[in-house]
Amino acid sequence: MPLLEVEGVSKAFGSLKAVDDVSFAVEAGEIFGIAGPNGSGKSTLFNVITGIPFGPDKGRIRFDGAEIQARPGNAIARLGLARTFQRETSFDGLTVFENALIGASYGKPGRGATEARSRAVEALEFVGLSSSAFGRLAGELSVFDRKCLMLATAIATKPRMLLLDEPASSLTKPEIETSIGLIRRTAERGITVVLIEHVLTFLMSLSQHLLVLNQGRVLAAGEPKSVIADPRVVEAYLGTRRSAA
Amino acid sequence: MTLLDIAIPSAPGRITWNREAIGFVVGFLLLALLPLVFGDSYSRHVLIMIFIYAVVASNWDLSLGYGGVFNFGHLALFGIGVYVYSLLAKMAGIDPWIALFASGVIATLAAVLVTIPILRLKGIYIILVTFGFAQLVMQVIISQSDLTGGTQGLVRVPGLYLFDHNMIRDGKLAYFYIALALLVASTLFLRLFVRSRAGASIVALRDNEEYAISRGVSLVRQRMVTLAASAFFTGIAGAFYAAYQRNASIDVFGMSLATIILSMVLLGGTSTIYGAIIASFVLTVFSEAMADFGAWRPMITALLIIVIMLVYPTGLVGMIRAAWTLVAERIKRRA
Repeated sequence: MPLLEVEGVSKAFGSLKAVDDVSFAVEAGEIFGIAGPNGSGKSTLFNVITGIPFGPDKGRIRFDGAEIQARPGNAIARLGLARTFQRETSFDGLTVFENALIGASYGKPGRGATEARSRAVEALEFVGLSSSAFGRLAGELSVFDRKCLMLATAIATKPRMLLLDEPASSLTKPEIETSIGLIRRTAERGITVVLIEHVLTFLMSLSQHLLVLNQGRVLAAGEPKSVIADPRVVEAYLGTRRSAA
Repeated sequence: MTLLDIAIPSAPGRITWNREAIGFVVGFLLLALLPLVFGDSYSRHVLIMIFIYAVVASNWDLSLGYGGVFNFGHLALFGIGVYVYSLLAKMAGIDPWIALFASGVIATLAAVLVTIPILRLKGIYIILVTFGFAQLVMQVIISQSDLTGGTQGLVRVPGLYLFDHNMIRDGKLAYFYIALALLVASTLFLRLFVRSRAGASIVALRDNEEYAISRGVSLVRQRMVTLAASAFFTGIAGAFYAAYQRNASIDVFGMSLATIILSMVLLGGTSTIYGAIIASFVLTVFSEAMADFGAWRPMITALLIIVIMLVYPTGLVGMIRAAWTLVAERIKRRA
């Protein structure tokens, strides 16, 4: 049974169908890539899956066998489905350590303080934030460090699946290299990764399966190589490609 | 997880528990010695009022500063404390101490109730609803004039007692220490709360609601906890105020008191708890010292607040921190 099953999910804003009848499944343990041009509905898809800030209008989403499309976002997070955001996001008024502690404390039901603490520290060290940074306010960090911190707060929730929304955006080349390594090691921890990305090389080097969205609909899905070769994908995505791709 | 989860044992980047405890004890011991310096009952009265203001302002800092919830009904929670105490102690003849405690409980329940309509609201809409809540409480009190005395208020409200101690002919000494004990208990509670994981979670919700929810934080529960936690000692302060003044009046719902307390929260520097307490002292003492200036008094006060906030946007606490750094640097240079 797939870990995540999305069935006929739609979300409209007025007359704009941001996500239109999308179905796919993600197997446990894989890295699953989602590509698509700007405005193709990738982030909205993440939003409706995680219920943050809203669920889908239509369709069913099963995570680990449980239907989650009507559950509130914090409950979905506690089931083990964590996400990051496209923009670097942090709790600016809290320290780096406290940021991770939030994930460790609230991301899973029934956690003791000591265990949450050690999991927060472990997650921060995993993403490469040194203990000298633990006491700094998150708002003072660089873009890259804040992205790493966002990943750490997600990992601190002990997720089974992690949805990463454009982890490479606004990063430099060496930082992207580091991110790729980090995502690989995240998957090696047994966390299933679903990855939205603009940079196709990034997706190609990481994912085992690839889904391409265009105007809210699934354009193609399958092995990355065959998806990329699909003429419809070439037309919709690569045909209008940006220099970064 | 329990409501008031175990405080974070040691948090990197924050002042250590030991240092805070030392500062806390020293600070409040100094306050406890003040009656030795101020023997007259007028000075003591001013100090008692400062303690009451400090409790109300620092609890407001919890919801407004830490929680980022624009609760403009905070003074209504104080007013509820005033009236619950007065009604219970005077009309129902309940023991004043029990009535005092009950006032805190009822104010907490009222805060939970007001959370429901603001759960899905943000920013100025929360101001609107909480402000409406305060007006509603006031109108209910006015309308039930048989019980509450309406706009006339209630007089001869029973005061507090301490064994056989004479509360009236002791130069306000007993009320001074009760007020101080109230401020100590409230401050201890607030600091433990904001340094707990629950405290961190309400800051997380303030900084980024969606992000906090995505990490498992419940907006509904934590917002309720925030307002409830800020209400208990506010209600008790209201009850104490009524017991001390021996009367209850709807003036506590007026804009002037709310404005004074709000200036204390902001002038002190939000999200510190201590800032609001320090500002309660500064503003009240300043206002008393300027008594001779008559109509100029509020104008000079307002101007002073503006100047301080312009120079130190983080308020008096920011000012103290800046001064402290300066002194520390001087000492370092000499060494």
